[in-house]
Amino acid sequence: MTSQCIACGMPMSKPEDHAMSDPDKDYCLHCAHPDGTMVSRDEALEGLTAFMVNTQGLDEAAAREAVIELMTKLPAWATD
Amino acid sequence: MAVGTPTRADQKQQTRTLLIETALDLMAERGIAATRTIDVAERAGVAHGTVFVHFATRDDLVTAVVGEHAEQIAGRLHELAGDRATVRDVLAAHLAGLAEHEAFHSRLVMEGPLLPPYARATLLGIQSAISAHLAQAAEQEMATGAIRRMPLPLMFNTWLGLIHHYLSNRELFAPGQSVVERWGPTLLDHYVGLLRPTGEGGKQ
Repeated sequence: MTSQCIACGMPMSKPEDHAMSDPDKDYCLHCAHPDGTMVSRDEALEGLTAFMVNTQGLDEAAAREAVIELMTKLPAWATD
Repeated sequence: MAVGTPTRADQKQQTRTLLIETALDLMAERGIAATRTIDVAERAGVAHGTVFVHFATRDDLVTAVVGEHAEQIAGRLHELAGDRATVRDVLAAHLAGLAEHEAFHSRLVMEGPLLPPYARATLLGIQSAISAHLAQAAEQEMATGAIRRMPLPLMFNTWLGLIHHYLSNRELFAPGQSVVERWGPTLLDHYVGLLRPTGEGGKQ
């Protein structure tokens, strides 16, 4: 069953999508440190911003603003 | 309480889901900005005030609807594209996901700049799902020489610009039809042809 990473929203449909390939972890492989712990809010913000800049060519400040907006609804960082 | 009898919380969740699905359908038909909360209530068969029991403002309803659409379309792309997909597979999966949700997605593309900040950001989130799969496939194919080397953002934006142009002008390219079904295969072939290394049809 597909779930969503609580830290970035990526769909996770198979064990390898989860951190450490562990389906019990509710965050994805991209949001985990090598030891399996989840990234911090600042690390997630930096990582997602860099990803949007590198793959979509967005202005860095515009990408950061969009990521901050998206993070308000992600369970790991939700503000409401 | 009898087994299987919905609880109050279940009923509340059902009404919320009904309102989101109804709003999604209406916004796909009429446009996001043009759909009023009273239209959603009437179509869903609930009192107008019920909408505001579940969503404090109209923007909150729009946010929930766009979030639902993003979840559906990104989930479908992830499912179809898979890990060992080629660039062509990823783009075909993008088109297949779009075809299933074309009417609403076209509205989102056209009205995006006018929508609440979260809805605008969500469109970028959907694009990130596509760019993630495309970048993964493209890096592998550039490394093996299967496609030309080019900056990933330009590669992605060239595809997206093409698709969004057709989605934004559906009535010019495919009046009363799905523009993705009618033009998708042609656009896919054309775009993949542009990616071929020089000397394999890429030379002018």
